[in-house]
Order: sequence, then C-alpha cells, then structure tokens
Amino acid sequence: MSYVPMDSRRHVRRSGLLSLALAGSLMFAACGSSSKSGGTTTPTGSTVASGATAAASAAAGATTAGSTATGATTGAGAANSDKALVIARGMDVNSLDPSRSYCDTCQIFMTAVYETLIGLDASDNKTLVPRLATKWESNATQTEFTFTLDPKAKFADGTAVTSADVKFSWERLKALKAASSYLVSTISTIDTPDPETVKVTLSAPNSAFLAQVNASYLGIINSKLATANGATLDPATDKAETWFLSNSAGSGPFTLESYTSGSELRFKRNDAYWGTKAHFPEVIMKETPQAVTQRQQLEQGAVDIAMQISSDVAKGMAGADINVKQVKSFNYVYLALSQGAKGGEALTPDVRQAIRLALDYAGLVDVTVGGAGQMQASPIPNGFLGTDGLAAPKQDLAAAKALLAKAGVTSLTLDATFPSLNVYGVDFSTAMQKVQTDLKAVGINLTLNPVEISVWADKIGKDGIPVTMLYFAPDHTDSSQYVQYFGLVKDSQWLTWTKGTDEAAEDTLLAQAFAAPDSTSRAAVYNKLATDMINDQVIIPVVNPDLFLASRSNIKGMAYSACCNLVLADLSRG
Amino acid sequence: MTAIAVPAARIRRRRPAWLRGPSLIGLISLGVWALVAVTIPLWTPNDPLAPVAGRLLGPSVKHWMGTDALGRDVLTRTLWGARISIPVAVTVIISAVLIGTIIGAAAGFLGGWVDAVLMRLVDITMAFPPILLAMAITASLGPGIRNALIAMVLVWWPIYARLLRAQVVAVRQREYIDSAVAIGASRWLILRRYVLPMSYTPVLVNATMDFGQVVLLTASLSFIGLGARPPSPEWGAMITEGATNFYQWWIAASPGIAILLVVLACNFVGDALRDSFDVKEVTR
Repeated sequence: MSYVPMDSRRHVRRSGLLSLALAGSLMFAACGSSSKSGGTTTPTGSTVASGATAAASAAAGATTAGSTATGATTGAGAANSDKALVIARGMDVNSLDPSRSYCDTCQIFMTAVYETLIGLDASDNKTLVPRLATKWESNATQTEFTFTLDPKAKFADGTAVTSADVKFSWERLKALKAASSYLVSTISTIDTPDPETVKVTLSAPNSAFLAQVNASYLGIINSKLATANGATLDPATDKAETWFLSNSAGSGPFTLESYTSGSELRFKRNDAYWGTKAHFPEVIMKETPQAVTQRQQLEQGAVDIAMQISSDVAKGMAGADINVKQVKSFNYVYLALSQGAKGGEALTPDVRQAIRLALDYAGLVDVTVGGAGQMQASPIPNGFLGTDGLAAPKQDLAAAKALLAKAGVTSLTLDATFPSLNVYGVDFSTAMQKVQTDLKAVGINLTLNPVEISVWADKIGKDGIPVTMLYFAPDHTDSSQYVQYFGLVKDSQWLTWTKGTDEAAEDTLLAQAFAAPDSTSRAAVYNKLATDMINDQVIIPVVNPDLFLASRSNIKGMAYSACCNLVLADLSRG
Repeated sequence: MTAIAVPAARIRRRRPAWLRGPSLIGLISLGVWALVAVTIPLWTPNDPLAPVAGRLLGPSVKHWMGTDALGRDVLTRTLWGARISIPVAVTVIISAVLIGTIIGAAAGFLGGWVDAVLMRLVDITMAFPPILLAMAITASLGPGIRNALIAMVLVWWPIYARLLRAQVVAVRQREYIDSAVAIGASRWLILRRYVLPMSYTPVLVNATMDFGQVVLLTASLSFIGLGARPPSPEWGAMITEGATNFYQWWIAASPGIAILLVVLACNFVGDALRDSFDVKEVTR
C-alpha cells in the first residue's frame, strides 16, 4: 500500500502548529496535547478469537517477520475489554468505500469491517486460512479458481453472504479502476453457479491469485445494501462513496460507527457477527499524527495503543504500564528517480546508477531510524519470495563518480519535491537531507522541496518529479505486487509516474512467475525480476524500518500482519 | 544679588532612555546578533550543513548545544540562522515602511477620494489576522523564504500606512504649514521638508518593535513548512526538527533561545524609544 491522492485529508499538523505560532512560544511548540477519549461502552461477554485453523496451502512465498519484545510486560490493569479501545494513529484515509480505499489505515479498517474469502494465519504471516470461504481449488494452469463460501457467513444486517456479493464486490473493484484494482486486473469472468460457489476465470495464469484474494481490499460488500445506496459497476454512475463515509456494508467483526476526517474513526462491534465476536464493544482511532504526541497520550493513559512510534521516541518508553514491541516489517521508504519527469532528463541509466552507488545506506538506516531497520536490496522487500541472495546495497563513491564522468555530468542540479511526511518513524525531510548530503559528494545537487502530500500528488501526476521519496506497505503476501506497482510493466503505478517505457522483458518475467508451477521456480523468476528492478534504478529502497508497537501492558494480541497491518478483532484487554 | 553656583553634575544631561538599562542591553544584543550574521562565515565552529558527530548527541564541551538527527552541530546552525532571520526582518521592515510611508503620506496629505480609497485598502488588509494572511499569501505563491518575505511585506505595510497617515493629517493642520502654503511652497516641498520629518517618530518606534515580530513570524512560517527549505538553518525550521525529536530538547531550545533574545531585545529598545518620544503604541 502506498499513498493515494484524496480530497478529505486534513493537515492537522499545520493547524496545530499555527496555534503554536500565534502563542509565540515556539521553543515549546513540540509539546503534544493530550486529551482523554471518552468512548462510551456497553458491557458484553467476549471470547478469544482464534480464527480459522484449517491449514490451507499458501501460494504465497515464504515471508517471515521476526519479533523481539523490548518492553516490560508487567500487567497493570484489572480493566477488561468492556471499555472502548483507543488507538493513537496518524490516519491516511483516502476513502472508506471498500472499492476505493487504499492506505495503511484502510487496511486496518477493511480487515475489521469487511471480510475476505481467505485470511492470513497471524502466527506465521504466510499461511492462508479460510475466512468467508471454507475451501478453494484451482485448475492446473492457475486460470480457474473455485471458492466455496461458508453458509453461516452473514453481513452485519443479517443478510447471508452469497456468491453474488463476491461477484459484485470484485467486479466493482475492477470497474472503478481504483488504486487497488490491479489486484483483480486478471479476472476475466466470475460465475456464480449457486449462492455458495464462486468460480473465477482469469485472463492468464496467476499463481498469486489466492494471495491477492487475501488482500484486505478484496473484502466482500453487501451488494444489496450497497446498490440501494448508490453503488454500481460503472464509475460514471457510482454514487456510493459518500454513503460509505458514514455507513458500512460488511460482514466483519466490526461495523463503521462514524468517521470524522482529521479527528477520529470509530468502529462498533458487530454483535451479530457470524464468527467469534470481537472483544471490544468499540474501537476509537484518534487522529494523532506526531509520534511524540502518541507517546505522551499513551503514557498518560488517554490511549491504549500508539501505532507509529519512531525508534528515537520509543527509547525509554517501556515500563510497568507500557509494552513496546519491536517487530521486523515489510514496510519500506524509497527514493524514486524519473527520467521522464520534467527536469529529470539528465537521469539516464548511468546517472541513476551513480546515484544508487553514491548513497550511504548504512548511514541512512542510522539517520532515519537510529539503526532500527535494515537495508533493502530491491523493491521486493527482504523476506519476500525471490529476495534470497540479493546483496545489500553498498556505497561506492569512486564508481559513482566514474559513471557520472562517463555520462559527461560534472555538475547536476535536480528538483527533489517530496511529501512532508513522517512514516514508519522515518522523517522524510531528515532522510532527504541525508540523501542530499550523499549526492553532493559526487557533484549532484538536490533542491529539496517538502510539500503537502496533495501538492505532491498533483505534481507527480502532472509533470512527474525527478527525485522524490515515498513509502510502501504490502497489500498481500506475494512478490507480484511489487512488480505490478514498481516494475516497468504494463499499467504499473511507477511506470505512469516516471513516464517511462514499458520493459517487455519484465512483463514476460511477471507472466512466467504467475504461470510457475511451484514456489521454487517462482522464486527463481522473482529473483530475476528483483534484479531487473534493481538495474532499472527507478526505485531505490532507502530503509526497511522496524515497527514499534506500543500499548498499555494490559492489551493483548498486538501483532503486525503482512496483509492487514493490525487485526482489531485479535485485540483484548487482560 | 548673589549668583548661585550650580554643580556641574546637576546640569549634565542624562543619557536618553533608549541608551539606558534594558534598552542598552537590547541594543547590545541586537548588535551582537548583527555581528554574528555578518561575520559567522569567518569563524564558524563547524559546517552548518554537514554532519560533524554522531546523531542526537546531547550538549557537551565539544558541541555546546548538541547535535541534530543528521549529526550537525546545533549551535553552529543556530548562529548561521541569524544570517537568514535578521536580513529577512530588515528587508521586511524597510520595505513595509517604504510602502506604508508612500501610501500613508499620500492618503493623509492629499485627502479626499485618494485618502478614502487608500485607507479602505488598508482596512481590508488589516481585517485579516497577520499570520493567517501571511500563510495564505505564502501558500499561494509557493513555500520558500523569498515568498515568505513577500508575504510579510504585504501583511506589514498597512500598519505604517495608517500610522503615518494619522500623523500627516495632524501635522498638516499646523500653522507653519499654512505659512509655507502662503509663501508659495510646493506641495511636494511641504510634504518632504515640513510634514514627513515631523511625522516619522512613531513609525521609527513601531518599526523597532516590529523587527522582533517579523523574526517571530518568519520562524512561524518556516515552522509550518511555508518558509525556509531544508537544509537551511532557519530558526523556525530548526524548531520543527526539534518537534520531531522532542526528547532531544536541545534541538528546539537553541533556536528558541535565539528567537527569544532577538525579540526581547527589540521589545526593550522599542519600549525605550516609545517612552523617549512619548508615542502611543499602535497595534492591529
């Protein structure tokens, strides 16, 4: 998942700082405010959600996320899950329409409110397990997939989940051409021979399809309810996005209670949930963009979970009342180079290679996350299928200078417009200043221009940006998503943004990966693709940061999910 | 008759108020900052843009105000920040005073519809809170210190226009102006030689006070991302970095102290000047 332009984003940081400026107390401006959440609750019984346990075979590659607990784990509270769970988070919601949403927070929302046919085993982050579908099968060529739905599955309004709902949901996702539509781009037809059977025919072999079905964006919508409120299969006539801002139509353990852009997102437990009910009657996600403020609110007891703590802010945080869990993630921040952008004409392959060689990767990991992260070789992150054996990037200033000399570049100034963000604990301004310093050593000058993300989105969509920075978190567990998003393949996002040329070889390799009969051969193809993408020098991963999950010590079930970020239904208060 | 001898000490004139007490301290402080702004390239302790040590190191003998997230010396960057904030403030004040003087003098001296039109323009501009107007203008022009400077000039000139217009209206009703008219002096001569010199004191006092406010507004605009661009060591931008690294207090404290010193110095000097010339404070 990466950023999608949106209309309703609020720039809380700006308004908060304005009042500070008016106060004239700039040196104390960093003080975070704290406000106690007043979530009302209704006592209910709860049982631990264990999830389905059938060991469905995963087409996805081997991906693991290790974890090390660094915080104290002394239980402090006698409180239980009767009270609302409050989460501090900088929200990047672009839409709550399940066919349009595409953001980190959207993954949490979609997983809580809408259910996919296939889930992901939280214990290993790679095994696919039943969710709405009890079983599935595919033909030998991976072009036909048949899913059998659980007859017990019901939407929050009591309507049964049927194959017609699956057909509507996926066809709408494909028709709306949203950011996540690439996940269903290979679907050719969807047949519904009976209410519990869904037969999907693809236009080409796709061994990653089951992993894609696990992506939270493929959650199933109550088609009757959605169509009654303006949802259609035609983007020209679909009017449901506004309705989805205050209503939901899913079968998940929670429903949408309310959403106020720039303020909070509230979930209400689906008490009619067909599976094991969630523990908390209500979950409140409070817009809290600054890591420092998240920490202060957690320490004051105003929130239960702080989701975006940086490594520097996490220092000294763990204690009797607070757990801090440091986990390896598949998220990463990257530099993107666009020769096709206005002003980026000088970024020939040699110059791009020189930039790659000029960067001090170890220094970048240190500067951005205080060493709490890893270097990453290719746009396919460490641990995903095909990344074994890829050498970590290394700085080589002599080679960089030689390449620039070969390209006839003695002095080069490039526009580096980037979104003014702090994501996964990485402050983009700090990271770009480090990049600027590194490139200056080889005679490349970057003009840093931090802008609001909406401005950035306008610019990259219009003229492109020669040098920029962005972030990505996985949508599902298969490596194909990285090729489809970052590779120079047909319809990829970065092919569009860089105004580059489609590399037929990468398209062919991607097709080979989809058609590969087993994970070994797929790993080999993905390895080639990863190498190709490294050699493209369009996307240069800067840091793969560890994730810091901070919570009150009585909160149980905190875990990073490779598909879904954080699974709210797994959380409880002990 | 007996002559009375008056001790020499009693007839010695006292130094003016603006050369005594807090005002003197303010003047010295401003002088030191101006000196730093001019001479820092000659004696800079470190490169303000290059890492010189480990990141986020606390204050030490080697780095008095510690280092930032990129390992740059915070004190060095603060000192270099004077080269941005002080010239910007000087430029803004001089430009605003010039524009304000022209418009205020024209309105006050010519009167009639010229006065009405110009003063309504002033009223409209002053109807907006200065920081909001500066933000809006900077945002529309695009972030950057040059555009922030333009925005601040556009925000500040009406203060001087209104102030000067009031003074000019008062002065031009005096008898010696009538005398000048009677002997056939031209309007321009009257304005230049008899009106403006008698009207300028309040402008000078306000400009002194406003200097600190401009430093503060420059920092505020940079703080919200509309002013200086990274890696510029502008004070407001440095405080933003301090907000990200909140628990490393020295990153924000150093430029914060610099702003405090400059603004306080301006206020000291401005207060003393106001007392000396007995000028009524003009605020928005």
